[in-house]
Amino acid sequence: MKVLTLGITLSIAAIMSNFALTTPALASNEVVQQSFLPYAENKPTYDSLTAGLIIDQSNVAQYKDVIDPAFYSFIEKGWTQIVVGDTTSFALHQSYIDASEKGYGNVSLGEKVGEINGWEAGRPFLDQPSKDDPRAGEKLAWNYKYGYNWGDSAAIKPFYWKYRDMESAKVERTIKFNFHFLNFKGRVNQLPTPEITPNPSDLFRSIYLQVLAPDDVRNTQLLIHRAADDLKRDNSWLYLGFQRRVRRLATGQVTDAFLGSDLMIEDFEGYNGRISDMKWEYKSTRYMLMPFYNHNELALDTETHEDDDGYQVVAFSGKGGCFPNITWQLRKVYEVEASPVNESHPLSKRVHFMDAQTFTIPRTVSYDRKGTMWKTFTIGQAHPDHHLPANKGSGVSIDDAFSMIDVQANHCTTGQFKGQVDPELSPTSMFSVQHLRATGS
Amino acid sequence: MLKNTQLKSCTMLKVALGFALLPTFQQSAFAEEIKVNAFIENATYLRKDVGLSKFRNTLQIEAEKTYKSSGSFSNISLSGTFRLSYDGVYDLNDEDFGKKAGRAISLENIAAGPGATVPFGEGLALPFSFDTENNPNAGMIVLGEHLHATDGGVAFGVPVRPCDTDSRGCISGYLSRDIQELRSQELNDRLDFIRELYIDFDFNLDNGNIISTRLGKQQVIWGRTDLFRVLDVINPVDYSRNNIYDELEDIRIPMWILKTDYRMGATETFDDLNLQLIWNFDRFRPNDLGQCGQPNVIVDAGCFFRGMNNLWENGGTVANFAGGAAATDFGPGQIGIRQANLPSWSISNTQVGLKFEGVLGDLGFSLNALSYRSQMPSLRGGIQAQNGFNGEVAVWPTLIAFDIEFPRVTLVGGSMDYYSQSIDTVFRIEAAHTSGEEFANTLRSDLFSESDVLRYVVGADKNIFIPFLNDKRAFLFSGQIFGQHILDHEQEQRLLGPAGIPDWDENWTATLLIKGWWMNDRLSPQIISAHDFRAGSTAVAMSVEWIVSDNLKFTGGVNFKFGTGARTFDDCRTCNPWAPFTAAFPEHASGSTLGLGGFEPLGRFRSGPIGMAQEEDELQFTLRYSF
Repeated sequence: MKVLTLGITLSIAAIMSNFALTTPALASNEVVQQSFLPYAENKPTYDSLTAGLIIDQSNVAQYKDVIDPAFYSFIEKGWTQIVVGDTTSFALHQSYIDASEKGYGNVSLGEKVGEINGWEAGRPFLDQPSKDDPRAGEKLAWNYKYGYNWGDSAAIKPFYWKYRDMESAKVERTIKFNFHFLNFKGRVNQLPTPEITPNPSDLFRSIYLQVLAPDDVRNTQLLIHRAADDLKRDNSWLYLGFQRRVRRLATGQVTDAFLGSDLMIEDFEGYNGRISDMKWEYKSTRYMLMPFYNHNELALDTETHEDDDGYQVVAFSGKGGCFPNITWQLRKVYEVEASPVNESHPLSKRVHFMDAQTFTIPRTVSYDRKGTMWKTFTIGQAHPDHHLPANKGSGVSIDDAFSMIDVQANHCTTGQFKGQVDPELSPTSMFSVQHLRATGS
Repeated sequence: MLKNTQLKSCTMLKVALGFALLPTFQQSAFAEEIKVNAFIENATYLRKDVGLSKFRNTLQIEAEKTYKSSGSFSNISLSGTFRLSYDGVYDLNDEDFGKKAGRAISLENIAAGPGATVPFGEGLALPFSFDTENNPNAGMIVLGEHLHATDGGVAFGVPVRPCDTDSRGCISGYLSRDIQELRSQELNDRLDFIRELYIDFDFNLDNGNIISTRLGKQQVIWGRTDLFRVLDVINPVDYSRNNIYDELEDIRIPMWILKTDYRMGATETFDDLNLQLIWNFDRFRPNDLGQCGQPNVIVDAGCFFRGMNNLWENGGTVANFAGGAAATDFGPGQIGIRQANLPSWSISNTQVGLKFEGVLGDLGFSLNALSYRSQMPSLRGGIQAQNGFNGEVAVWPTLIAFDIEFPRVTLVGGSMDYYSQSIDTVFRIEAAHTSGEEFANTLRSDLFSESDVLRYVVGADKNIFIPFLNDKRAFLFSGQIFGQHILDHEQEQRLLGPAGIPDWDENWTATLLIKGWWMNDRLSPQIISAHDFRAGSTAVAMSVEWIVSDNLKFTGGVNFKFGTGARTFDDCRTCNPWAPFTAAFPEHASGSTLGLGGFEPLGRFRSGPIGMAQEEDELQFTLRYSF
């Protein structure tokens, strides 16, 4: 690492040195602050990196240490560029932070990977990861799984996926969805907290999606029930518009391409599988450029979506139209490697770059069985206070744009979101099998 | 007049139910969003040894208007699907399916030697015979000729032209389409161009439960299986569109139905619980089996019916009948099908159902009960008919003279799905027990009997990666086994062969679907195969779907069958209805079959829909543009 100014690190060191002198309550508070507000005292800086800088083919070598290897190669080839923005705090909702603090010290890993004890809500593991802890990667994975994510419930309504040929830049297919999320457990904000009851199958989370277009898949609906028990597979049901019937799905093939996109089901949100399906290894804490920005300050896509709110989605450009027109911030990142337990898994590993403040996974690079780079996933994170008015103060780092690039097939799938943190859009009744039947036509 | 009054009552009820609710929406809610989707589609099919068998052009418009929630009401919408088609096959291939179809025929007469024939109308004339002036030898085919030779069995002439060109054998109100109704099946007196039209609304109860209602012309789907209709029997089906091979969504005949769900959601035990009430208050409609002269006539029943009705109305020549060998000319009103008695509209003729459904973790289940009218026809003998030998009109035992009825059937059943995590496979089970169904039975005086029936399907779905074919997308493997047990089956060996119920007492059909996806799901080949074990017949449908763009989709495929094909059974030539004239020997009891059989007419029940379509191999191309 080059001339990385370690303001944050020094601050952490100062806290650590005083640790022995603090009371347990204060220690807890400091750990919480450190976990949730990493930029409270200092913002990271790097060399000549300043807001407004454009990193392109001509100067990318200078910033190699703060760009992940996949994105570095894209810039090096002239496929895209990075526009640098100010590092800003994406503070999560205070109720999530409070729940994390309340649970601090009560949560522990079980004997097997995928087992956790004592978690009720909030971030399970607040201490900074250590290379000395053999299960540090696993703890970070749990922090991601039980992250604030979309909050207790939210909707992406609508959500545009475009399948693009990188060579010709042709948009082969545009699929328009509505996605809805609901946490059954670990709720901290929307009533009821901490759990929706009755919850007979001990569900942690549910996802419901409905396809609005194009015609051949219109009215397709998918419902996923994810159990709190990480060792259990999801229960999923599919409603096919042309069959008008709900059918239960076998969910074991999580490496299947979802609706023909470049995303495996396992890729959703950064990682959508079981913690127990992977071997997790914490590699390092780094400061890297990550796709965090203020949506309302971007030059947006004026064609794909327009509605009464005047909301427009993120635009895409670059090679094949596969890169979001966003700005990037220098942020604290945990680099974590996840290697599949199953040797027949098509990937040898994913390298996740987890944002330390939000525990979202805005960048992931996937490698095939031979160890060659295969796919690279970007999830743009928008600040909720610079997005839809309804999202202001929600404390949700809004997933706002994604790009999954298959570098071997020269193909990508891009996603454009209208994320809405509004519990009215995702009532509990929506996450039932009967809702699929009632909504289907 | 009675029918007209009943029809009006039915219509009035629909209108009253429909419009009674509309003011509620108009006052308490206002339009929020209107969504309209449409497509145009051309389906061109080419049949082996026939040529063009379909050139159907369709315009379908689907519209939905949603309304804002008001008070305890939410999810309020009005939806409609409108379909209009024109099938050019009746104009482009009118020699097989249109006004020029059919010809003058000859019927087998083995009394004159093996393979000998006589022209229609020149058989052995009974004392009370028929006049070819009323039933000319033109525009006909020999029953079953496309599938099998007469081969010593019975056969008769079947008119095949549209009913406005040739009304012979057209059964009023049942299978009597004119050329316009064949070209554009939606343009009929049941207003089928309004494919669906219904309102939806939820009433939210204080306890959090929801009463969801859909009222109007709609499809109601029960069950968890593909292709087979064990529980999915609320709507009748139009098999004339593409036999059993089209998606059920496209061939279910929507009915005016009230569907109300009491949605309890999650409980302390169940993840989801629901109670559904169905009231099908529409005037009864049977399955559309296809009219003889159409390209798709499932198990060739429509041809059998049309030929039989022509025999009843006009008389005709029946191959190899007298003595089991001589082509015989029957007079009108002696044998055949007299009429179809479709249940008229009345409250007592409406159909009701109840479904209790839930989810319990990895297990989903439903319990179903339905009281409905059989959508398949039952041929009941025992009608007044003329004795061809002495002219006497009476009810004759085992005489092949019928009315078509649609008996009331009671169904109880259930379904279940289960996800086995250990083998990553979903299992689907569906079973139903019916009482009230009727079957042809040559051992009975009225030539039918009632039987309870048990049907079930066990299916399994699994996604499997085949890396050397596609390492990114798993293939879907879906297998099913369908069983049918006729619990009161009757069959016995008579002097010349088996007699009784022709259907297999126990039979199974297995299906296997393999589907793959390439080019980001824009190219999807699939193979569906079905094997009828007892019929010994197999159908294989291979197709490739290519999504050219979000608007344009092309599907090309081939559908072929192989196996035993036509099968034989007692044809009641030796039933001796008009003893002593029809007795084979002095001791031959009146109304008692000796079991002499042939392919027609009852072999079709043993061949099943796959075996009976053995000669209907097709290339099928469909182009759809959505907008």
